[in-house]
Amino acid sequence: MAKKKNKAILRPWCWYCEREFEDEKVLMQHQKAKHFKCSMCPRRLSTAGGLAVHIQQVHKLEPDQLPRIENALPGRDGYEVEIFGMVGIPAPDVADYKRRKEIELGLAIGTISQPPSKKPKIENRPLTEEELKAQLEAHKALMGGSESSASAPAPDASANSVVYNAAPQTYATPSVPPMPPGMGMSPPPGISPTPPGHPFFPGAPPPGFPGAPPFMPPPPGMPGFPPGPPPPGFSPPPGFPMPPPGMMPPGAPPFPGGARPPFPPPPAFVASGFSPPQPGAASPLSIPAPTAVVPGAPGVLNAPLGASPPPSASPFTNVNAVAPVELKLPDPSLAQTNPPFKKPTELKYADPNFSPDEKRAVHPKYRFVPNDTGNVTNENAHPEETRGKKRARAEDFL
Amino acid sequence: MSFFNTAASTAPAAPAEKDIEVTDPPTDSISSLSFSPQADYLAVGSWDNNVRVYEVGANGQTQGKAMYSHPGPVLGVCWNKDGTKILSGGADNAARMFDVQTGQTSQVAAHDAPVKAVRWIETPQGGILVTGSWDKTVKYWDLRSSQPIGTVNLPERCYSLDVAYPLMVVGTAERHLCIFNLNNPMTPHKTMQSPLKWQTRTVSCFPTNNGFAVGSVEGRVAIQYIDDKDSANNFSFKCHRRDATPNSKDQSLVFAVNDITFHPVHGTFSTCGSDGTINFWDKDARTRLKTFEPSPGPITSTTFNRNGSIFAYAVSYDWSKGHSGMTPGHPNKIMLHACKEEEVKKRVVKGR
Repeated sequence: MAKKKNKAILRPWCWYCEREFEDEKVLMQHQKAKHFKCSMCPRRLSTAGGLAVHIQQVHKLEPDQLPRIENALPGRDGYEVEIFGMVGIPAPDVADYKRRKEIELGLAIGTISQPPSKKPKIENRPLTEEELKAQLEAHKALMGGSESSASAPAPDASANSVVYNAAPQTYATPSVPPMPPGMGMSPPPGISPTPPGHPFFPGAPPPGFPGAPPFMPPPPGMPGFPPGPPPPGFSPPPGFPMPPPGMMPPGAPPFPGGARPPFPPPPAFVASGFSPPQPGAASPLSIPAPTAVVPGAPGVLNAPLGASPPPSASPFTNVNAVAPVELKLPDPSLAQTNPPFKKPTELKYADPNFSPDEKRAVHPKYRFVPNDTGNVTNENAHPEETRGKKRARAEDFL
Repeated sequence: MSFFNTAASTAPAAPAEKDIEVTDPPTDSISSLSFSPQADYLAVGSWDNNVRVYEVGANGQTQGKAMYSHPGPVLGVCWNKDGTKILSGGADNAARMFDVQTGQTSQVAAHDAPVKAVRWIETPQGGILVTGSWDKTVKYWDLRSSQPIGTVNLPERCYSLDVAYPLMVVGTAERHLCIFNLNNPMTPHKTMQSPLKWQTRTVSCFPTNNGFAVGSVEGRVAIQYIDDKDSANNFSFKCHRRDATPNSKDQSLVFAVNDITFHPVHGTFSTCGSDGTINFWDKDARTRLKTFEPSPGPITSTTFNRNGSIFAYAVSYDWSKGHSGMTPGHPNKIMLHACKEEEVKKRVVKGR
């Protein structure tokens, strides 16, 4: 039992070369590749005994002519010991290795049960007052110098895991006055403004974009998306910096920069949500009437969109009032059937006649019914899809 | 206290490997993605009726740049050649053009049924928009006229369309494939049945314009060459399947291949499926180059940027289980993956 316990705590190691491994699987792969590889053919064996038998039988070598085990420490290059991963290591060698490990790690003899991994020692002893203060200071600096960081729980776990783990201890002494920076371990003040949530894009979020909401709300009275070009002299809303000219690739003419707040404020995005699907909720913000429709476009479809919300945007709860739509094949005689499967199979999308997109497009939530023609109110009962099909059929006649 | 420094320096490295989520994604499923051919601007069409444009920075950070809407769900989106216009087709039976310089939106095409796919064709004579619709037509538009410059009747509803000039391939319902040589755009060069026996979900042309890939709802992709003399190289393979129970090795759960996109430089390609997985493949070595960690939902659309360094994919509901699959907490996001060279580069073919 005691041996097993030690094994669990010591990392697996290779008896032949005393290398350490993450787990026994890797160790076995290592042994196959480095020590149990036949020098005469590409064959790799699992054990020294297997290699010996292979060499004797395949390559017809006498037992006394066997080559030494490759890449092994002196004295461990023989076939006498049958090693399989960690199994089979002679007990004296295990004890010896353990003792040397203890010395290497600076542990007292017999304390090898302490994890010898890279885990910092700091975790295993109570922190001194000094260290607590230093950690608190460092943590504050990391959190962007927020005053309330001592009392408020860290909002962002991404700061870094060690500090995060240490946090409860740190917060236990909130009354400690912050130490002046320069303790040697807190990051230089110049680094601290970087929000901890964006450690991978240093300098990427421009100042004025502190993390979460990347889109500034449009100024009052400004629709989410002005239909025309920005009026001359229109200044960008504060906090929405113009991209520097150099950022624009030569081929692509720049977007009109910050002059146009491109997206509605995030709350509109988030609030409209995903589950109670209400595309209409977002449309008043995001769909001003595109008055700038080209004159040449078919007049039928030119009705201003902002005048009334498209029927497809009607709230989901009103859907029951609309007659359900069935997809109809233009020619039912051509209906397809799926061929049989050779083996038991669960086809996740099994309709041979309609694509999932077609089905989705006639679902009441997504169905588009044009409201631009005069007779649309009469046609309301008729689904758009059949209207389209009728025309298509008429076209087929011609 | 040295651990503090090491932690600070190692922390950014680990998540940098992960794919980056685009901020402020659409509020409903994402139907299509398209990168500008000139810059790292990503246009995103969604079932919430909007097309959003994001700027992708050097480190994968994204910023919303513009948004415009259709009166109905958006089904397809593309850019013109010089990256100044975004074109999108939708369930409102129309294609619309967004001018990124002026911010104006205008209708540029009309069909009798929803416009499923839009593509920009850059001909030597100038740019043309092609729209494929469920009204069983493909129409060509020069954007200045309200009338199409050409209409081609298809055997069935257009499900997918792709262009690698002068090759255009249209995949329709009932498994028809129409192959066009755009030097003669009004009549199909060849009309054939799909080599796959189940509904066509997506078609994608080789960048070398000598063939195309077809994906079906039955977890299978066919590689098809145009020229009959290359037909020996045609093949199909299974993908996007899963075991009914772990380790049963029966691969009996079969998912739809939702999108196929080719790498613009190396000619390798990605497939994505209803099962939430993405794979990179090399059709010439016939090997899989990379498997992504499964996403929490179906992948509806994928695209590479102009030089193939960024791979964008949309995780959102694809209606494969109908309305009942539309659960409130369903993920709806766009992820950006920084392509490593070994993931997208062709393998050296040995002994074939």
